Amino acid sequence: MAESKRIYRLLLKLYPARFREEYADPLERQFLDEYREAGGPLARSLFWMRALRDLAATVPGEIVREMRQDLLYAARIYRKRSLVTALALLALAMGIGATTGVFSVLNALLLRSLPFREPDRLVQLWQGGISVGGGRAQFLDAKARSPYLADAAGYTSNELSLSDFGDARRVIVTETSANFFALLGTEPQFGRSFSSEEDTPGQNSVAVISESLWRELSGRDPQILGSTIRLNGTPMTVIGVAPARFDYPAKTSVWTPTIFEFEHIPKEGFSWTSIGRLKPGVTLRQAQAISEAEVAQRSPEGLKRARPNRPELLSLRDQLAGPIREASLVLLGGVTFVLLIACANVAQLLLSRVSERRQELTLRAALGASRSRLVQQLITESTLLTFIAAAAGLGVAYWAARLASAVQPGGLITQQYTILDWRVLGFTAGLAVLTGIVFGVLPASLAGRMQPSAEVVRDQPGQSTGTRRMREALNLIQAALAIMLLAGSLTMGRSFLKMMDADLGYRTDHIVTLNASLVGTSYAKNGNQVQYFSHALDRLRAIPGVESAGAIGYLPLILGKMRMATGFRVENGPYTVSIQNFVTPEYFATIGTPVIAGRDFTDADREGLESVVIVSQDFIGKSGSTDVIGRELSYPQSKTKLRIVGVVRTPPPDNNATKDLPMVYFPVSQSNTEFMTFVARVRGKPEPYLGISRDAIQQVDRSVPVYDAQTLEKRFDDYLAKPRFYTTCIVFFGGFALLLAVIGIYGVASYSIAQRTKEIGVRIAVGASPGVVRGMLLRESLWPLALGMAAGVGGAIGLGQYLQHLMASAEPVGKWSCAAAALLLISAGAVAVWRATARVVRIDPMTALRAE
Amino acid sequence: MAKPTPSPVDELLPLPGPAFQMLLALGKGERHGYALKREILQRTGGKVNLGSGALYGSINKMLGQGLIEESDERPDSHLDDERRRYYRITPFGRKVAQAEAARMRELVQLADQRLGLAHG
Repeated sequence: MAESKRIYRLLLKLYPARFREEYADPLERQFLDEYREAGGPLARSLFWMRALRDLAATVPGEIVREMRQDLLYAARIYRKRSLVTALALLALAMGIGATTGVFSVLNALLLRSLPFREPDRLVQLWQGGISVGGGRAQFLDAKARSPYLADAAGYTSNELSLSDFGDARRVIVTETSANFFALLGTEPQFGRSFSSEEDTPGQNSVAVISESLWRELSGRDPQILGSTIRLNGTPMTVIGVAPARFDYPAKTSVWTPTIFEFEHIPKEGFSWTSIGRLKPGVTLRQAQAISEAEVAQRSPEGLKRARPNRPELLSLRDQLAGPIREASLVLLGGVTFVLLIACANVAQLLLSRVSERRQELTLRAALGASRSRLVQQLITESTLLTFIAAAAGLGVAYWAARLASAVQPGGLITQQYTILDWRVLGFTAGLAVLTGIVFGVLPASLAGRMQPSAEVVRDQPGQSTGTRRMREALNLIQAALAIMLLAGSLTMGRSFLKMMDADLGYRTDHIVTLNASLVGTSYAKNGNQVQYFSHALDRLRAIPGVESAGAIGYLPLILGKMRMATGFRVENGPYTVSIQNFVTPEYFATIGTPVIAGRDFTDADREGLESVVIVSQDFIGKSGSTDVIGRELSYPQSKTKLRIVGVVRTPPPDNNATKDLPMVYFPVSQSNTEFMTFVARVRGKPEPYLGISRDAIQQVDRSVPVYDAQTLEKRFDDYLAKPRFYTTCIVFFGGFALLLAVIGIYGVASYSIAQRTKEIGVRIAVGASPGVVRGMLLRESLWPLALGMAAGVGGAIGLGQYLQHLMASAEPVGKWSCAAAALLLISAGAVAVWRATARVVRIDPMTALRAE
Repeated sequence: MAKPTPSPVDELLPLPGPAFQMLLALGKGERHGYALKREILQRTGGKVNLGSGALYGSINKMLGQGLIEESDERPDSHLDDERRRYYRITPFGRKVAQAEAARMRELVQLADQRLGLAHG
């Protein structure tokens, strides 16, 4: 009997709270009556079965009914406090959405698989022991002797000219060893990959092309197999087509097995990379240990070098994700802050609900009502809020993921992923629900547990110091997080403005730029480059509307171009590492770079006459020599003495590794450079001139690829795109954090005033002026803020050190950014509190006291 | 929670079987839950045996619809357990029960016309 009663009482807990509160007693009572009447053991078992069936039939219906009522009630409550609710919703939606979006991209980059077989077993050998530099036999030997690699391949990627299919074009060509595709576990979708002997010089004139190139060249015509393409003039036979969207590494369009015969395809640069597959059973860590020991034996000084010049064995996945990983982590950090601040706002909203209902709750507790009823209502309220926010967050997430993936670097295009990650969305929504439960339900539950006494019942509801302390603590946390984001965003914003404002040393408006490469053409073979460039410039200058035109070997802002750095010295001075660049007369005038001293090159600076150079202004500082005009410059690669004839303004730094090196400009007419970027200053909008200029230069010789025609403004924009994206995000997060924090502060202040009306009435009745009372309330509200700010400044400095990895010109978060952020937050907070205390003036002491 | 506003009579028709049975039982006077169940069980010859969950679920719903209300009066505190709750029919509940009966009568008449009533 007692046993059955206990079990039934437990089962009754399945009913929702209000129903249980109303009917648990009569249900139990009736159960006992009928149980007693049932008599024998068989009848009692039958009765139990009936009771269980009854429970199963009625519990779901009651739950749905009460949930509906609770939801309607919650909706009514939220409508009444629509502004606060809308802000909390907005905050949560932004937090959930942005976190989900950024994390989805991060997840795709870092956690999901690459389109290779067993991608976790693939490694990159950074300046490792297995080198293609010593030729094929040595490479195969080193590979076979490796204690930890089952296989290894070498490759080099370069932008080359592809001809024999319509106009010449520029494509990324990866020259590899024959086992490249086999190593990655990727087979051509059509045709075949390289056979193992095909990387032997003499047999290597074959190529696999990408699906997109297949489409562009022949509209996916199967006849492509066996046809010939020319890479920088070298004929290659197409033998296969790579799978769709496979373009590893670095957006490759053509793969050839020519790594061991550098001269086969003429090109400018040559640096190779080795990748490998770990032997079965060898972990990455073990392989790294062995590799380090090898390096220590081979070249101990290598281990002392800083990255990226230190020999290292890296997981290929890390290597691919590397460039975007840190940036994405910073973004993720930013959105997590926003999410946390949003959760704190929701917590504030729910806590105020708890305080409001405290009296009701205590009364109910005193009357013996169940606590679970209120808890159930609060859970419904917070869950409703979260679900609406999560739905809105989906939209934000989609947008954020698209944006975040738009800035990914080229090496990651091999990734194929769906953007939205449902697990992540679930995680963030779960976090929000947890917030709801921790801040909305737990305090209510604790409050309800308190001993109901007459005193508590009579007391003012909001007087509970517990929830007030909690709200103050939340304000503190919000302030700390907001300061960190604000200081970070101020720093980023400032350095971005500096980048935009940086004196470029040239003007970006009204300028058309386009590239031409003579590598592999008859001009290069016959030494007629100068002739070509001069004809091309003549055509360019002949276009109506072109005011002036010139050309340069390496235009600042052209990313990823290899620059040649060499030591130069003035007479017997020290060597200064500088970049060797080539320009035509009129280049500096066209792009607006002032010649500070001496003169520009002229047509008179020809081959066979005195070799002349122009140096950039920072060369003077770095070389330590003043008054360089007319002095002699020399460099180890050549016996020729160079005469410095001019000094020009230093060009701006760009994203290249050589960004800080000074420039030494040679006249094109005295060099044998094969690659130039033409620049032309035009009247009016530059865009219409892009096609015209390309056509004009192409008329010189259609077999020379003229490509990448862009306005200089566009190039500058592209250069700024990534920092602009991060800056915009962080500044937006910072602003949003400030808004949320101010809402929180206002909420706490105005709430505490509403709850302390009586006390304030007394103070005014005994003679305190409203101004004095408001001052007191202001002080009380601002101290958690001040504490939070102190914590936030510490965090901000740490955050700033991290941000420095992100932008070329990012600075550490300085005291001024922190001070500005603190000032911004404290003044916004003070204004919010002052506004909230406005109603103190209207408090009539008599009315306030009568409430007693 | 706000007081339930009685919905128009028609919207509640047809009444679920147990609800009609309960209104009929309450027509004779106040009852507590268990008494309601027993009376219905008896009247239907053991065919309608409401489980406690179904019984109080119906009571809860009918309270919400304004068909019945809780009675404050207790017959005699010595005779009865204080935990028992008594319910009585509201004037609105009476109207709804009457409408339901009228609806049934129409149904019976229709059946008589079409099929003929079995007499026996």
